[in-house]
Amino acid sequence: MARLVRTEAVVEGRTEIRYTLVEDDDTPEWEPGERPPLIGEPAARVSAGPRTAGTARFTTDIVLPGMLEAAILRSPHPNARLTGLDVEAALAVDGVRAAIGPADSPGGEESAVLTDSPGYAGAPVAAVAADSRAALRAGLAALQPRYETAGFVVDLDEALSRQDLFSDPSEYERGDVESGFADSAATVEATHNMPAQLHSALEPHCAVVDWRPDGVTVWCSTQSIYGIRDDVAGAFDLDPERVRVISEFVGGAFGAKFGSGAVVPLAAELSRRSGRPVRLVLSRREEQTTTGYRTPASITLKVGASADGTLQAIEGEGAIGLGSDGWTYPIMEPAKSVYACPNVHTIVVPLRQNLGPAAAFRAPGVMEGTFALEGTLDELAEQLGIDPLELRRRNHSENDPATGRPYTSKRLLECYDRAAELAGWEGRDRLRSDGRIRRGMGCASQFWWGGGGPPAYAEVRIGKRARATVTVGLQDLGTGVQTACAIVAAERLGVPVESITVRAGDTALAGHGPFSGGSMTMASIVPAVRAAGHKVRQQILQLAGDMFEIGADDLTLENGEIRSVDGALVHPITEVTGQLGNAWVTGSGSRGPNPDGMAVNTWGCQIATVAVDTATGELRVEKVVAVHDVGRIINSMGARSQVAGGVLQGVGFALMEERVVDPNTGLVVNANLEDYKMPTIADMPEIVCDFVGEPDPHLAVGVKGLGEPPIIPTTAAIANAFAHATGVRLRETPFSPRRILEALG
Amino acid sequence: METVITVNGQRHTVAADDRLTLGELLRDHLDLTGTKMACGEGTCGTCTVLLDDRPVLSCLTLVAACDGRSVRTVEGRSPLLEDLRAAFAATDGLQCGYCTPGQLMSAVALLEQNPSPTTEEVVTAMSGNLCRCGAYAGIIEAVERVAVR
Repeated sequence: MARLVRTEAVVEGRTEIRYTLVEDDDTPEWEPGERPPLIGEPAARVSAGPRTAGTARFTTDIVLPGMLEAAILRSPHPNARLTGLDVEAALAVDGVRAAIGPADSPGGEESAVLTDSPGYAGAPVAAVAADSRAALRAGLAALQPRYETAGFVVDLDEALSRQDLFSDPSEYERGDVESGFADSAATVEATHNMPAQLHSALEPHCAVVDWRPDGVTVWCSTQSIYGIRDDVAGAFDLDPERVRVISEFVGGAFGAKFGSGAVVPLAAELSRRSGRPVRLVLSRREEQTTTGYRTPASITLKVGASADGTLQAIEGEGAIGLGSDGWTYPIMEPAKSVYACPNVHTIVVPLRQNLGPAAAFRAPGVMEGTFALEGTLDELAEQLGIDPLELRRRNHSENDPATGRPYTSKRLLECYDRAAELAGWEGRDRLRSDGRIRRGMGCASQFWWGGGGPPAYAEVRIGKRARATVTVGLQDLGTGVQTACAIVAAERLGVPVESITVRAGDTALAGHGPFSGGSMTMASIVPAVRAAGHKVRQQILQLAGDMFEIGADDLTLENGEIRSVDGALVHPITEVTGQLGNAWVTGSGSRGPNPDGMAVNTWGCQIATVAVDTATGELRVEKVVAVHDVGRIINSMGARSQVAGGVLQGVGFALMEERVVDPNTGLVVNANLEDYKMPTIADMPEIVCDFVGEPDPHLAVGVKGLGEPPIIPTTAAIANAFAHATGVRLRETPFSPRRILEALG
Repeated sequence: METVITVNGQRHTVAADDRLTLGELLRDHLDLTGTKMACGEGTCGTCTVLLDDRPVLSCLTLVAACDGRSVRTVEGRSPLLEDLRAAFAATDGLQCGYCTPGQLMSAVALLEQNPSPTTEEVVTAMSGNLCRCGAYAGIIEAVERVAVR
């Protein structure tokens, strides 16, 4: 039986009330302290085979008979009006099968993809599909667009001074900061600035659309196959059941691959018009300028505390640059939610700029806000002469300070203790010297959501050879969620992980699944898989009971064997499944809601050790100790990989990543993978990773998400380590040699 | 112009536009889509293949320059490549897997020339292959596992 259940859904800090379809579920939770087999052991990812053999089919690899190649004509101007466009000339080119301009744009007037008033350099103006790349180039050239240009704003400070707001400022207040500062023995005020960070996934945004009278099939590189299905159905007024979205493998996303963007609706419209399948793959320049970025931000925080370090007030003012689209990312959430502080007042101003649309990027807002908060708190600790880690412990909050709600679990203090032990925090002052190379150690706390929730559904089936298939309606960006699904199913079925095949990335399959984002996927889907696996387990035991004439309740299933509780009966599971012929035993499961009235968060602490060459300004991150509390760990190897990836992107943000925009032309001047610096293998610090690992007692399976957490505190920990090494604060990223030499004077 | 090129042991005679790149030949004409494209301008290492015994960027290499030469891609078969695949899986030297074919080919080139590299040599040889997911630690470990000790 399935029921509709009212749930509170929290997505990156935004709470929504919704109804969700939940199946009855009598899967027993594991006992506290129980160590179920396979869970938490290291496991190779289930897709490693195709991914290392070159047989993994990414969207860019899709080739269909008769397929056309498509491309987008984009505005070269940051602000302009299109005064001429020759679509007919493009259509007259040999080999061009479809060409569209703003008048033909999919999306209707509300959300037209093609525009005649481009508001950023790179805004889509027209699109062409052709038989060959040569015909495509000729078709694009024939469009001959003409523009009337206008003034533009790309600089964040200039946008702020013009007060060109994208939407209303976002304000938060509790208590009375004035009285809080009056009660403070020390106050620190600091402004942290950071430029945009580009996602730079190696697989660009791309889509292949095959529009047929009986239905539309979309292959695309996406974080949400169901989101794309709904977008396409909505934009073209189609029955969602007639839209099939396939995303078998996604070559990185990091937040930029939500929504259908320009590629999906344009490929769909071109396929509809030409009657041919159409492939549209963005160039690297398009990828770096039109598909999103972490917003540039300027965050000023004033913190006040009593002499013992107890926070009395936090006041914050922030500005973020959304370019031409986005939402107000929660840059003040850390100031509001990490520590027990009675008086908090923050305001965030979202600004419009003549730049491409912003997009969520791994811990959007929270990473930026953590850099500001943890840097400012470090200054406070220094001023008060309190150990920085101790200052954080003293401001620990047992309840969510913003809502007063109890946490489902919070083991942040254990993260501090473990990180301090692993990093050798007690001896950190011995790292320091007066030589050319200065070393130091700094810490920062991590806060994020990540509890997951419904809707998420899974189907498990087992066949005659006791090999099982798990079907989930989600996509795998490389996070390892499919491997986690395999582990959880294998545990219920008492078979090795290698006996499980995971099918995903196709809306035609069973099991509607969550999007991949917000560190929610794992915590959403894993309980559904476990419930489905448990139903199959119960049926297998029932069948065994029938065969061996014993009550199913007296049987267990483990290590490929069905055993009676008294140990008298032992049979391989295949003895039962072998009777199935070509039938399967199947089970379906769904994710139930999280408890109402509780705050679900993930926690952590990172401690960075850095070496600064005071002669060259080179900052080397030698080691990052990362200890996170994300509930139960399903795959210790996959979890470590997530941490390594997050930390490395944090190192990139701190040390080198910066979108550079020429204020004179409004153009991004480093829209490639050479001038936009990202960490290489030579930039990898030693990463020491550990987890508290205790299951969250209020969440199904005890699991929380890990995608976002590891990137959140890295930049702050590096900046604080630099200050420990040199006595100088870095408040603007990236911490380039030039900036460091200037800071050191 | 006609070019004779051997790909994974298979000889092909290609009559193509002088501007055709090796990457386009592999992906669009020979259906060898294991080699991925990420930047198309020689900056990320994703499209690395072996030309004779050296790693090259297939997005910048013209087919016309490959006449009489031998190309190996991730679809090829060799004991070394098999060992590296297994090692990448065992050390989790990949996440999304998009850079993996290029990483594997750079690793093959390294270990063929230098079967016992130091960690520093591994890092240097692999430093032209970007991995945005950050699987670098596993990649180093995988190459070192396959190296002759």
